[in-house]
Amino acid sequence: MLDALGDATRRSIFESLKSGPRSVGELAEGLPVSRPAVSQHLRVLKEAGLVSDSRDGTRRLYRIEPDGLLRVRDYFDGFWSEALERFREAARKETG
Amino acid sequence: MSTMTTEAIRKTVMVDFAPAEAFALFTARIASWWPVGSHSYAGEAVQDVVLEPTVGGRLYEVTNDGQQDWGVVLAWEPPHRFVLDWQIGEARGTEVEVRFSAEGPGTRVELEHRGFGSGDPRDRYHTGWDVVLAPFVERGTR
Repeated sequence: MLDALGDATRRSIFESLKSGPRSVGELAEGLPVSRPAVSQHLRVLKEAGLVSDSRDGTRRLYRIEPDGLLRVRDYFDGFWSEALERFREAARKETG
Repeated sequence: MSTMTTEAIRKTVMVDFAPAEAFALFTARIASWWPVGSHSYAGEAVQDVVLEPTVGGRLYEVTNDGQQDWGVVLAWEPPHRFVLDWQIGEARGTEVEVRFSAEGPGTRVELEHRGFGSGDPRDRYHTGWDVVLAPFVERGTR
């Protein structure tokens, strides 16, 4: 999940969606990449829970998933628990 | 969705070290305890994790291929506290503060990871993402 926005093009796509839902075609117009490439990036963002899509007539619209931010927080909540436990273990080993 | 879930993450751990030793283990010997296998860019290929001990210093992982940044030091006050501008993935632009305080013969280590947005869903949408995505937000140290 942590690499979903590590790519500059994906960040651009994500930024574009902040102003409102867009189709793949609309997103591709403002970027120097092909429509299939945009679709691929959207798939990664969707799998990470950062965007969602819905059908609007004949086209599919993508939008930011507001709860994605909460998932990022929850991820780090679990991460810090694990990391600090390992820190405590390392300290215990050093103090013998 | 509860508003509680967007509060800062706070964790506390006690160790049998004096604060100076705890601070040194946490910052100068990160690779000895950081779970790099599951929490890094390169996984098991990570050879070292380095935190440069000064304001403006970088936190980064080291592999055969080079380095990958994790964050930048915003405040550096050994052995009491340090603050990082966290630059990994979706949490880009959040802050991590770690405080060390003597308690009995040991040290209380308190970690706070903040900046995930407010509890208001509209704020989350309109400003929360700005906070998280701002890659190089200019911040002063406190």
